[in-house]
Amino acid sequence: MSDMSFHLGEGSVRIEFDEDLYPKDAIYGAAYVFIDRCWVHLDRAGDRRIQVTLKAKKAGADTQAFVGEFQNELLGQTWRLRIVEENKKLIESITARALGGAAGPPGLDELLAMDIGEETAFEDPLGIAMSWEEKYKKKGKAEGTKAEAEGAGENASGGEKAS
Amino acid sequence: MIELRFHEELYDGFAIDEAVKTYAAYATAELSRDGGAYVVKVTAKPEATSEGIDERVLSAELANYALGLTIEKARSGGAA
Repeated sequence: MSDMSFHLGEGSVRIEFDEDLYPKDAIYGAAYVFIDRCWVHLDRAGDRRIQVTLKAKKAGADTQAFVGEFQNELLGQTWRLRIVEENKKLIESITARALGGAAGPPGLDELLAMDIGEETAFEDPLGIAMSWEEKYKKKGKAEGTKAEAEGAGENASGGEKAS
Repeated sequence: MIELRFHEELYDGFAIDEAVKTYAAYATAELSRDGGAYVVKVTAKPEATSEGIDERVLSAELANYALGLTIEKARSGGAA
């Protein structure tokens, strides 16, 4: 069975869609766009199939063109829904952080009540929480200082042995 | 009289009620439920028909209004 079919009637057109491919919300979205130009009616044409009937409000309108327009609109609506679904967690996370920030810094009691550990501590992939000295320290200088410190330690222990 | 049938899975009952109330000045409507559908029997009022309002157009507009409200309710998080 085709996932999409249409039937032209007298001044009206019927289109059927498979709900597995085009979700109900996308069909709603496309129907809403046509509501000013057409009388739109939705019905079930079977299990998981939705039938959309479009009847032009203006006499002499090209109903066949409505079919193509509706299908294009439906595809756009389906795609938008998919993008919203994919970005839902990201949007929720950003909103939660924004609301958390707006509430102001936590009090001492709230900090003590927090379960902060290795697993629950927030991730810092950009190194924002790192101190400036830690982030930009010169590796060569740091290694040289370390070597000097080790050398001094050895000398000190050697001195002890000599005495 | 024109009978409109709205599938319960696709139309919101409150939206249909609201649409009927909105068009109450122009038509009388009898609401019932039958086989998983909301059934609305629309009859244009004589005042409306005397003004040249067609009963079929009135019914179609009522159905469109009900669909529009259903979609708005679905978008705002309400069940359709």
